Amino acid sequence: MIRVSVMTSSMFKELLRRPAGLTVFIVLVLFYLVAIFADFLSPYSVTDQDLQHTFHPPTALLWKDGGLHVQRYEMQSRDLSGYTPVVGEGSPLRFFAPGYEYHLLGLVPMSHHLITVDGPDRLYLLGSDQVGRDIYSRLLHGTRISLSIGLIGIAVSMCIGFIVGGLAGYFGGAFDNIAMRLTEFLMAIPGLYLLLALRGAFAESFTPTQMFFLIVFILSFIGWSGTARIIRGMTLSLRNRQFVMAAEVMGQSSWKILWKHVLPNVFSYLIVAATISIPGYILGEAALSFLGLGIQDPSVSWGLMLSQAQNPQVFMEGYWWFLVPGLAIFVTVISFNVLGDVLRDIIDPKQKFLRS
Amino acid sequence: MIIMSMSVNILRLWVLAALLTMATVLSACGPGQPPERARPQGPPPADADVSRMPPGQQGGVFFGTLGGMPRTLNPLQAGEDASSAMALSRLLEGLTRFDSAREEVVPGLAKSWDVGADQKTFTFHLRRGVQWSDGHPFTADDVVFTFQAIYDDRYPNRQKSELSVNGKPFEVEKIDDYTVRFRTADIYAPFLLYVGTSIMPRHKLIQAFDDGSLMRAWSVRDAQFTPEKIVSTGPLILERFRPAERIVYAANPHYYRIDSAGQRLPYIDRFIERIVNGQQASTLAFAYGQSDYENVEVRNVGWVKRNAERHGFTVYDRGPSQSTNFIWFNQNPGSNARGEPYVEPYKLAWFKDSRFRQAISYGIDREGIVQGVLLGRGLPLWGPVSPANRSWYNPDVQRYPFDPQRARALLREAGFTWDAAGKLHDRDGHAVAFSLSTNEDNEVRQAIGLVFIENMKQLGIDVRLQPLDFNTFVGKVMSSFDYEAGLLGLTGSWDPQGGWSVYHSAGRLHMWSPGQKTPQTPWEARIDELMQLQLRTLDVEARRRYVFEVQDILAREQPLIYTVTVNSYEGLQNRWRNLDPPQMGTLVWNYDEMWAETLLLR
Repeated sequence: MIRVSVMTSSMFKELLRRPAGLTVFIVLVLFYLVAIFADFLSPYSVTDQDLQHTFHPPTALLWKDGGLHVQRYEMQSRDLSGYTPVVGEGSPLRFFAPGYEYHLLGLVPMSHHLITVDGPDRLYLLGSDQVGRDIYSRLLHGTRISLSIGLIGIAVSMCIGFIVGGLAGYFGGAFDNIAMRLTEFLMAIPGLYLLLALRGAFAESFTPTQMFFLIVFILSFIGWSGTARIIRGMTLSLRNRQFVMAAEVMGQSSWKILWKHVLPNVFSYLIVAATISIPGYILGEAALSFLGLGIQDPSVSWGLMLSQAQNPQVFMEGYWWFLVPGLAIFVTVISFNVLGDVLRDIIDPKQKFLRS
Repeated sequence: MIIMSMSVNILRLWVLAALLTMATVLSACGPGQPPERARPQGPPPADADVSRMPPGQQGGVFFGTLGGMPRTLNPLQAGEDASSAMALSRLLEGLTRFDSAREEVVPGLAKSWDVGADQKTFTFHLRRGVQWSDGHPFTADDVVFTFQAIYDDRYPNRQKSELSVNGKPFEVEKIDDYTVRFRTADIYAPFLLYVGTSIMPRHKLIQAFDDGSLMRAWSVRDAQFTPEKIVSTGPLILERFRPAERIVYAANPHYYRIDSAGQRLPYIDRFIERIVNGQQASTLAFAYGQSDYENVEVRNVGWVKRNAERHGFTVYDRGPSQSTNFIWFNQNPGSNARGEPYVEPYKLAWFKDSRFRQAISYGIDREGIVQGVLLGRGLPLWGPVSPANRSWYNPDVQRYPFDPQRARALLREAGFTWDAAGKLHDRDGHAVAFSLSTNEDNEVRQAIGLVFIENMKQLGIDVRLQPLDFNTFVGKVMSSFDYEAGLLGLTGSWDPQGGWSVYHSAGRLHMWSPGQKTPQTPWEARIDELMQLQLRTLDVEARRRYVFEVQDILAREQPLIYTVTVNSYEGLQNRWRNLDPPQMGTLVWNYDEMWAETLLLR
């Protein structure tokens, strides 16, 4: 494992040295921090409704009496986000003040928030939705699902892919044959229909959130076949190299050879493949939620929030703030793709092998 | 990755859908003007019905949209789905008609009727000189044939139960070619309304009736390839039927209604219904001037109105609609085939306690739902009948305005307690929580569900929203009973008898515990009794008293916790004249009397 850790740390240093790599790395770290501290950063809980302020546009901030205030609005009409600002009126913003209660990291009970409003006005940094919930708070909480989904997905598919592909390539013969026919079988399963069937069969016995994780787990379970086939090919060529043969001659066990000699050599591929397949899961979540198969209200994810923008009302009345989750998905997907690209540049296998 | 390729596929689907929508929109706005229709003006029937509306001018096409394709035009089966029933109602008329504007039963194919002294005998005098659209005379034989077919055991249909008293069919007897006598086994209050069922053409269907193939007659296939076989007494005849594309109706040259100037109705030459994919597509088509009429959903009213001037239409605020939305608890005490109870016994105990249901009712912020979710375009609803139904709405039923304090007091009285975290527990320490099922395709209903969850949180109750496919949900409600609470809506009918299956304990739509053999509770027994009483009198005042008491009991016991009724908005192109807006029902109910100032859409 020493080689793997050395390789990752040198790869990491190289990543930070490149401007594109550094930028996307910072962006992604920020996103994950937001996911962890979503409760602290958001002024309202995800289910906090205000039926007097539905479809509210983003609120303005104003400077008054030596402090930041949130602008007060008056409703003129129920359509076309007919709220007009009341000049000079507002409620002061408080920083690090107590608000709704939550558990930091799921453990530490806390009630302090970065921003809260002291007064009757509501702070809608990114507007409100059809029951008056704060889109900004929901966006921050949605980060949790949307970013963890990719990690769960690749964790399952990469592990199975490596084990099956590695064993098939190393042992060859009948095992190889069976494993590869299995991957072909899995590749032939139409994912969308499987999802529809699963959803129909399990809709009653799971909560929507459990259901969603189950679906992602199953999808990655049938999605490992591509990885497995490439790993098999790489292992096949590795097992004929001298250092593997030497290890065999010295009587090392197959597991040890796989772990110590094969894994480090395919590790770079695994990292790149994993990084590049994360956006697939994020977009997949958005697509599933769009079809009503994903996360469901009152839980929150970016895909679900974006699906609420389907209503023609959102487009026709110019509720642009409903599209912000789409921007978040866009930025995340681009970041993961650039990260994957940079990593691939860094660990161009030819150079690496020449050096070792 | 499967997910990735899937999202690409979905994208493709979307692009395809968008292109298709555009294609249909383009094909509709193209200048393919239908040919002028020269109408033979034979002499109108001797007993023609004369419209009260001022005379207009003939010509023009009415463009409508249709969300679903009719599955059949068979008069015995068309009641099964709304699109089929709608299509058939344009073609076949009954002995009586319902005048939506005056809310009364008026003569249709019969010009008058006498009620016998026993209030069980009705003699109908048919209009003389009325012809089917193929020129064949309409006579008492058609009426007798229709009822013969409806009561025939070979042909199961929905009309039969409405046209029977205590399971006994009406006796229908031909006196002469233009007189028919009906006898009912007992006094039957909605007789005149229900007897207006579509009369079928004997000369076209007698053969199918005799050889047992009546259920297969007038299928979609017949409509598509031999539309001329489908004859009509209504304002329109079927001209062309293109599944998933459009239905074209033309004016019936033999229609029995005329205007005061002696012109034969309808004024329009054609009525074209384009099939669109879903409500949103239909609203978009109307908002851009591609159809004449649209039922606009409350949330779309704002932006549709903005296009009104440019595309020459008006969106009418039609006040409260007949639709209701309600939440209810499953009170079915039975158990399934494996012997497991449908509802956990301790939960059933809550659901059966009327104080629990009243507390929930006090806990719902109906005004908030109206303001926030419906954008102010609706009304809180307190009973099963919407205020739109002037004749049968009881304004004095008990109300449950939003009052969490009273809700808590009622719950305390019923033995519930709150723990330190504010969660509600029953007497035996069970935390109060339930799942609320609803159909996933209705956005307004889902939003009502979201507000309900927050409202219940205030009372310390955990509610889990479970959106289900509509048919799955209906299956649970009507047959498998494995759910805890539901959120649904029904559209009320004008006559109180239309609510029988909801109110009566043996009814199929008696949501909280359908199809009971004997009523479970005294108040359900009383409702059953009242429903019988209102059925057995022709005195409208007495009927109203019985029906009001039913509404009182339902409001007191809250088996169905009514939430809100949505206002109805209808858009119509400005070119149409002779509107006669009813309080209840659609604006274009009298399309046979409407005429257009400009013949085609702009």
